[in-house]
Parts: sequence; C-alpha cells; structure tokens
Amino acid sequence: MTNSNVMKGGAGTVLLVLSLLVMVAGFGYAAFSLSAHGHAAFNASSNVPWGQPISTYLYFALASSGLGLLAAIPLVFRVKAYYPVAKRCVFLAFIVLISGMAVLAMELGHTFRMIWAIPFGMQIESAMFWMGVLYLLDLIFLLWKFQRLEGKDWDSKTAKQIGVASFLGVLLASGNLALIFGMMSMRPFWFDGSLPIYFYLTGITSGMAALVFYTYLAYGFKREAMPEPLQRLLTGNLPVLFAALLGVTLLFILVRMVTGLYSNMPEVHLVWSDYILTSPVYHLSLWGGLVLPFLLLLSRNLRVQPGVQVLCAMLVFAGLFAERYYFVVGGQVIPLFKGTWAWDIVHYTPSAAEWSLTLMGAAMIFVLYVLGEKYFNLSDTPADITAPEPSGATAKVTA
Amino acid sequence: MAKWGMVIDLDKCTGCQACTTACGMENNTLPGENWQDVLYYSEGEYPSGQMKWLPRPCMQCEDPSCVHVCPTRATYKDEAAGGIVFVDWNKCIGCKYCMIACPYGVRFYADEKPLVEPDLKSIFPGENGQLWSPPYQGPDEDWRRGIGIQPKGVVSKCTFCYHRVSKAPEGVADLDEDDPELVEFVPACVRTCPPKARYFGDLDNPQSNVNRLIGNKRGVRLRDETGNRPQVYYLGAGAGVPAFQRRERS
Ligand code: SF4
Ligand code: SF4
Repeated sequence: MTNSNVMKGGAGTVLLVLSLLVMVAGFGYAAFSLSAHGHAAFNASSNVPWGQPISTYLYFALASSGLGLLAAIPLVFRVKAYYPVAKRCVFLAFIVLISGMAVLAMELGHTFRMIWAIPFGMQIESAMFWMGVLYLLDLIFLLWKFQRLEGKDWDSKTAKQIGVASFLGVLLASGNLALIFGMMSMRPFWFDGSLPIYFYLTGITSGMAALVFYTYLAYGFKREAMPEPLQRLLTGNLPVLFAALLGVTLLFILVRMVTGLYSNMPEVHLVWSDYILTSPVYHLSLWGGLVLPFLLLLSRNLRVQPGVQVLCAMLVFAGLFAERYYFVVGGQVIPLFKGTWAWDIVHYTPSAAEWSLTLMGAAMIFVLYVLGEKYFNLSDTPADITAPEPSGATAKVTA
Repeated sequence: MAKWGMVIDLDKCTGCQACTTACGMENNTLPGENWQDVLYYSEGEYPSGQMKWLPRPCMQCEDPSCVHVCPTRATYKDEAAGGIVFVDWNKCIGCKYCMIACPYGVRFYADEKPLVEPDLKSIFPGENGQLWSPPYQGPDEDWRRGIGIQPKGVVSKCTFCYHRVSKAPEGVADLDEDDPELVEFVPACVRTCPPKARYFGDLDNPQSNVNRLIGNKRGVRLRDETGNRPQVYYLGAGAGVPAFQRRERS
C-alpha cells in the first residue's frame, strides 16, 4: 500500500529539492531585504501595520486549525470513515502551523525577545498573549497525538484524551485568534463577536482543501493508487462535506458583506463598497476560488472526479488566501484619525519581500510534507478498518 | 501623585505646526513620524465649507486600549508618572497590535518606508540598535519609557515629554511656560505654541488651571465613544472628529 505513495520515491525527492530551493530563496530574499532596509522592505506602514505576512500567518494558522478540527472527526467523534485521513490531517496541521509561525517570526520586530517578554509579562488581558499560549499548546498536543498515532495507538484511553484535549486546544486557539480581530471595537470592520465561527468555518474549509490536495499529491494524483478505505472516503462523504463547508463559508461572507454594505459607517461600508468589491482580484478569488468550486462540488457526478477534487482544492487555496488578505488589510484601509494627511483609502500592496515570506511559508509546507510522507506512513489506519465495508456505512459513528 | 492632562484650545490654535516641529526636535523623531501632529479636515462645500484642524498628541488614555492588547506589557500606563502611557523599548517585540488598537492613530513603528524624502535613515544610518543616528541627539535616554532615539523593530509614541515633566517640583498644579521657574519642565509642544493654545497641568488637583478650563469652557475629549477616556481635552468650536470621507483628487 505504501509503495504507491509517490512521495516516498524519486518524485518526492524532486519535489523536496525544488521546494527546499524555493524556501531557501524566499527566506534568503526576505532576510537580505530585512537586513539591508529593515522593515522598510515591507510595504506595511504605520497606517497599515499588518500586511500580507500577517494575513499569510493567519491563513496558515487557520488552515492548521481546520486540519486539527477535521482530525477530530475520526479521533474524537470516532467517525470511522475518516480514519484514512486522520494521521495525515494531524501531520499537516502540525507542519502548516510551524510554517505559519515561521512567517510570523520573520515579520515581528523582535522575534527572540518574544520568548521571554511574553511569559514574563503575563499580560492575560491581551488576546495575543493567549494566542501564544494556545497555539503553543495546540502544537504540543498535535505532536503528542501524532506520536501516539505513530505508535499505532488509535484507541487507548490516553489517545482519546489527547484527542479531546487537542480538539479543545484547536477550538480555543483559533477562536482566540479570531478575537484578536473581533474584539477591536476601534476597527469596526473586524468588531464582531461571531468572528470565531467565521474563522472555524473558513479554517476547516482551507484545512479540507489542504487535506484533499496533499492526499492526492501523495499518490501522484491517482486515486486508483490509494488504499481502498481512502478511495471510499474520497468518493463518499468527504466531497459532500467539502461542498457543505464551502456553502457555509460563502453564506458567512455574504452575511458580512450585506451587513457591511447596509451600514452607513464609513469604516465598514467603504471597505466593502470602495475597497473590497472594487478589487478585480477579490472578485476573481471569490467567484473563481469559492463559488466555482462550490458549484462543481454540488454536482453529484463531478464531485467524485479526482481532477475536480484537486482543482477545487487548489481554487480554494487561492480563494481563501485572498479572503484572509482582504479581511486583514480591509480592517485597516480606512485611515484612523489622520485628517487630510490620509485623504483617501490607504493604499497597500505587498512588497517583494512580503511576497517572499508568503512563498517561503508555502514552500516550507511542501518541504516538511515530503519529509513526512517519506519518513512516516501518513495513510496509516487502525487495523480493523482496512477491510472493505459495504458502502453506505461510511459515516457510521461508533459510540 | 499628579495625573497629567493637556488642554488644547481650538479657538486659539492657528494650525501652525510649531508644536509638531518642537516635538520632532525634542524627541528626535524621524520626519513624518509625528508623535504630535496637527490634523486638518475640510468639511462641507461652498458656501458653508469649512476648514478645521486638530492638534493631536497621544491622548494618554485613562483606559488605554493599547495597554490592554500589548502581549508583553511593553506598553504600560504608569500611574506613578502622572498616568502617562509608555512603551518599554526593551520589551516591545514589534507585533504592532497596539497600533491596531489605538483609536487615535498615534503610535509609530518608524521602521518603515520613509514618510518624507530624503530618507534620514540612510543619511544617518543607525548605530547601537538605533533606527537612525542623527548628529544631534537629545540628552535624555530612557528605553524603559520610550525616550530617546527609537530603536529598530519597536513602536514609539508621545511621552508627554516625561523627561521634562518628571523634573517638575512635586505638587505643582500646572506647568505654565510663562512661569520662569517651571518653563524647563513644560512639554515641548506646550512650551512652543505661539498663541498659547495648549495648557498642561494636574487633572487630580482641584486648583489646577487645566481643570478650570475644562470645567468653564466645556472641555471635550475626542472620539469619546471609544471609551478610552483621554487625558487630553479640547476647548472651543470644532472639537469633534469628522467622519472619514473619500475625496476626489483634484
Ligand atoms: S491615544 Fe492611543 S497610544 Fe495613546 S494612550 Fe490612548 S490608546 Fe494608547
Ligand atoms: S508592538 Fe510592542 S508595544 Fe505594541 S503591542 Fe506589540 S509588544 Fe506591545
């Protein structure tokens, strides 16, 4: 079974080398620009302090949380049909988070200072303090859970407890991440108590896209090469869930858009009317990156096609990346109390150094992913589910 | 201990920016990174069009949102220093959350593209961790309070000229630049203001002139709906922040 995993062979090595090159180049370019120009290498400014590196971090952190939540379907809720993706989910959640953190580390003014300043400060009023605590816990639980799965411990009491703890950790970490934005009443575009729900939904959607893409990648985009239970999941329950997730994501975006456009408040209204909805990139990403895959996955015939599934995953990558970008930047484009010094919507486009961080993060995921596929059996499942089950039993929940 | 407050009389302010210049000189800020600035707003159209301006230091809020969000306590409100909000440059990690959370837009990363050309950071390259090292540097440096030349990768803001104010005699009600005994302790912007539109004193002292002015002339705080409760009050017509509106480029 594992032999059909192309990442274990030469193709994997080629991908590893290529992504390593991109990662090193991205890191090198960003590090060089930062050492030569300081943070002037970024286009983020005092008016838009959080630019693309932050939205990239957010994108990865939430994709990781999404993968963590998907892993909970088999590992916490014991939906057996999802066992074939459980281990890969946990692994991907771990490496995507690590990559996101690497991007964040390159963005901060003093990364290493954080290591002592946050724990010694104990500023429990700050959501960012909690972000540090909760994502660290999340990371530890993911690692622990993975180590259990690696030891083929799927069902012991401890494994279950770690699963539950990790699930709660993910919910708290990503919910708190939402509140970093959602609690900012001085930034009305973000100020929204339901933001954690929006982050959960969009997070699971991007996690699902990552899961589909990397699962196919492991088998050279050939579904026939996959183990039978995995094939069954990919033709059964999973694409339906993917479609449903995209549906609720779109619903949430629509509701935010309608409320925003309805509001008279310039900090919300103008962001939608004059910034987001006038951007061709946003439209492309919304229609092409979210609506199109949703429509494709709605079709009973299309959604089971491997090509369609991979295409949808890739479209959703782009769609949600843009969604995060417009969310983060959109909250800052209306100048805060600047008078005619900033007489229009603040203009921000990422610089080459900022793009290089995004590339670095993405390439890092590929590097770690190939290593993971090479050194672990990420398609591992508990012994009892490898035997074929009659179809229709795919979503069976065991107590 | 005093609770330092500032009162700015908009009926007297001419919008000349002398305060902004004085602040930049006093605190060695980079051009454009104005801890103190005057904001101009043009409102309405002929025949009722108007121009207004609002000098804007850090409001040293009583309930500062910048302090609540700072994950390291680098930003802190020092009640013992008159309620001034400081940034400890030894602790700041440059996450910029405080810049997101300050409703008054008065915090500066400065480690960014130059706001004004030529780029003084390349003309006077930074040494010893400084973001730039100009030939003249103010004598006071206190990184724990964000005083001195801003280092790389941290956030800076107005300190109410703590390095001056802190040397004032204990218990003084107002720091008035017309009083030769006190003039050296007055914040640079207040001392410079040609029409004497700015006042600085102790909001906890019932005898202070700043309290009298706020009471008698109906002082208001800007954007009070944020709940941050500034320690800076404004007098006179025009003490309100117009809503943002897009303007056509002419
Ligand atoms: S004006 Fe801004 S920076 Fe100053 S104390 Fe208030 S919230 Fe903090
Ligand atoms: S940038 Fe510095 S002062 Fe501001 S919140 Fe972050 S650590 Fe605190």
